[in-house]
Formats: sequence, C-alpha cells, structure tokens
Amino acid sequence: MASQVAEGRADSPARRRFLRFLLGFSVISTIGMIAAPIVGFLIPPKTNGAGAGGKVLAGTTADIPAGTAKVVPVGSKPVIVTNTEAGILAYSAVCTHLGCIVGFDTTVKHIVCPCHDGHFNPANGAVISGPPPRPLASVAVSLEGALKDQIFLVPGA
Amino acid sequence: MATVDVPQGRVEGWFEERLRVGSLFAALLHVRIPASAATYFLGGITLFLFGVQVVTGTLLALYYKPTPETAYDSVKTITSVVDFGWLIRSIHHWGANLMIVSLVLHLLRIFVQGAYKYPRELTWVVGVGLLGATIGFGFTGYLLPWDQRAFWATTVGTEIAGGVPLIGDALLNLLRGGADVTDATLSRFFGMHVLVLPLILGGLVLIHLTIVHQLGLASPRHPEPRPTRPGGTVEPVREPLKPFFPHYILDEVIAWAAVLAVLVVLASVWPAGLEEKADPLSSVIVVNGVEQHVKPEWYFLAVYQLLKVVPEKTIGILIPIVGVGVLALLPFLDRNPEVAKRKRPIALLLAAVTMAGLVVFTIWGQVS
Repeated sequence: MASQVAEGRADSPARRRFLRFLLGFSVISTIGMIAAPIVGFLIPPKTNGAGAGGKVLAGTTADIPAGTAKVVPVGSKPVIVTNTEAGILAYSAVCTHLGCIVGFDTTVKHIVCPCHDGHFNPANGAVISGPPPRPLASVAVSLEGALKDQIFLVPGA
Repeated sequence: MATVDVPQGRVEGWFEERLRVGSLFAALLHVRIPASAATYFLGGITLFLFGVQVVTGTLLALYYKPTPETAYDSVKTITSVVDFGWLIRSIHHWGANLMIVSLVLHLLRIFVQGAYKYPRELTWVVGVGLLGATIGFGFTGYLLPWDQRAFWATTVGTEIAGGVPLIGDALLNLLRGGADVTDATLSRFFGMHVLVLPLILGGLVLIHLTIVHQLGLASPRHPEPRPTRPGGTVEPVREPLKPFFPHYILDEVIAWAAVLAVLVVLASVWPAGLEEKADPLSSVIVVNGVEQHVKPEWYFLAVYQLLKVVPEKTIGILIPIVGVGVLALLPFLDRNPEVAKRKRPIALLLAAVTMAGLVVFTIWGQVS
C-alpha cells in the first residue's frame, strides 16, 4: 500500500503538485476560518461617545466664579469650562501635545498644561506658548434655566 | 561531532541549521504503533478541545471583568456587543462539555482495552488527575457569568464540599474565601480557572504524553510481556505495526476538523445562555416564566441526585469520594494481567454496572 502510493507520486509529479496545492489551500482556508472570528473579536466594540445625542450639565455659574475654571467629565472625556472676560467657554481638557489634562492658572489667566508647560488662550483655545501643536478643541456651551445660571455642555455641537 | 542532516528546502534548511530540532521531531513522530490499535482518536480530541478552551478562554478574559458588580454585564457585553463574542463564548461553553464527554469516552476506551495495565499504571493515574482538573475547570468556570444559575449552583456545590467529613468546614472556607459565596469566591474561582488549573492541566498533559510516547500505544490484543525479575529483559510480542506519522496523525487531524465543525454547529444552534443577574437574597431561577430548581451542570447531576436520595449526607458524599479513589487506583486493584475482553468478564461487568448507575442517576437528577 505504502509503496504503491510512493510509486504513484514518483510517476506523476502533476498529481503530486495538485495534491500539494489542495493541502495548502485547505490549511490556509482553515487558518483563515479560525482567524477571522478571533480578529473580529479582538477589535473593540464602539462605545457610546461622550454625551452622544444630548447635553451634559457641567454645574452652575456659582460653581465657576469669574476668573476661574473647572474640569468636568463628559462621558469619558474631560472638558475644561472657563469663566473669564470672554465669557463662559468650554474646551476639551486633553492637551493637544501629549494628552495630559490641562488646568487653569489663575495668576496668568491661561489654560496651562502641567506636563510640558503649554499655555492656551481661554478666550479661543489658541496656543500661546509651549509645545502644543494645535489649539484646544472647543465645546459648545449653553446657559439655561430661569436665571441663565445652569451651564450645559453640548459635545459635538 | 555528529553530522547534521540538513533538509532540502531552503527555509527548512535555514531553520534546521540554527535549531537542530529535526532529530527531536523525528524521535517524537517516527514511531510505530500496533496495527490493531483502535484509539478512536479520543485522547487527541480531548487535547484538541483543551487547545480550543485555551484560545477561546484567553479571548474571553480580554473582556471579562471578575467582580460581582461587573462580571454579569461584561458577559452580556461579550455576548451581545463584541463581534463574534457570542460565538467565542458559546464555543467555550460547548468545548467544556465536549471535553468532559471525550475524556470520559477516552477513559472508557482505555478501560475496555485494558490499556491501564502493566506497564501503564501511572499513565492511568495521571489521566484520572486530568479528569479531576477538567471537572475543576467546569466547576470554577460555571460561576464566572455571575447569573442566578451560576451563583446558586456554586452555593450548592460548595455546600456539598462543606459536607466532607473532618475537613468539610475548612474546604468550604477555602473554596469560598469566607463563609458565603461573595466577591471573594468570584476572585478565587477566576484565579483558579485562568491560572491555577491551566498550569496543573498543562503539566499533567505533558507528563501523560511523555509516558504515552515512551511506552508506546498498548496493543488491545496482547498483554505487555513482563520480565520475570525486575530489570530483566523480555522478548516483545510480534505483531503488525503501522507508522504513527503520517498515517495516524492525519486521521487524528481529520477527527479534530470534524470536532471543530460539531462545536461551531452546537454553538450556533444552541448558544450559551445567560439568566438573570445573581441575587444573593433569592434562589429562585425563572426561565421563560417557569420557575426552575437549582441544578448543577449535567456531569455533577449523578452526585447531586445521590445526595438527594441517600438519607445520611456524609455517606452520600463519601460514595463519590471512594469511587474516585477506586478509579485512580484501578491498575493496582485489578490484578488480572489479561487485556482481551472475554478474559475479563468481572471487570467489564462491574464497569457496565457503574456506568449504568451513573447514567440512571444523571437522568434521574435531570428529571426529578
């Protein structure tokens, strides 16, 4: 039996090539079949974006007196709400340099990143100094309530 | 220095020059097995299923969160949000069940063919250890979804362990990590399931396979010849042999492909379910509006039913413990050297009665 198989192979290289092709095809398609669900599984599912389809109450004007700012979570993303001469404005609190969370320096009245001393203008989010390559992304603010004292953030607006 | 045979292919040649593992693989693969050997590929299938469990389990662990607050929701997310999550989880679920089935069938095959006898007693003992580790996997894994069924089956299961004479209380505390099934229990079971048991099972598999390789497959026709004095030599039985590689391996791989197909079909047609989230204050399980009894997985049903019908709890717990002890020591208790079925009527009859008893108690436990 074994010798017959060996002779058959030796006599017909075309048949041998064909069998090799079939074997390779089976192995590769099997690997593909197993790998496809594994790769699909490893890709993280899309989570609901921060505040998708709604606005988030960041606090009241009493929480953020003039000349100060506050970092509030919007979903999983931090947002800095500033109350300066330019009014109540909000920006993404994620520094555009390397992703640290920015804060507010009440002496120089700048939004400042503590990691590499990047300064941003609280009036428009623009870079004043330091390494950040881009301004902070702005987040829409709407003041609501009878006294217009409730600060709502509208992400994505 | 010995000469090195370098294979023809360029890639193989490159690796072989640097690794020199060719002779190792040759020694592992190019062995001969009795032509009459009929393994039904069950040991290999069990090993393959363990591999499936390792892969799917590792994937599940990437999303699973082992705390009472998060476990249930993370399993729900895996099942309904993550791509192919239902498939991976259901294959893990069915793989566990099939692994027990193939392991038990493998054990029965070894028993019926008398392959546990001289010189393979230790292969059998290690094999019983593998059975224990596999059941441990089932027991610890069952709690992880943290649904009502998981919670109460574990409560009842650990309660049974607490009934073991003398060490019961200590065992219960050790298993639960305290007096009750809590977050401590979940952490323990998760750690056991993903770290302790895989290491134990992996180690035992290595020992098991090493012995199998060293001793070769048993002939189902002839007992292994025994030297008259320790260390003496014997003339091996002359019988037809066949190559292990590629003949046997090829069939084994085909069997694996078939098992994988069965797994995917089972997982697709009957995906793993999830009950209500565990509620430590209510042991009521409601499925489709019908209240159900708290029952363990099917492979524990025989013991569960035994405990219900034996009036004395201690005796009910001792019977399965003694049973496992007898199973582990079987090669040393069964002194009959014969392997042919017609020369072992008592052993086969006892095994048939035991199996029938297990089946009856399992079905009884299911329907009662």
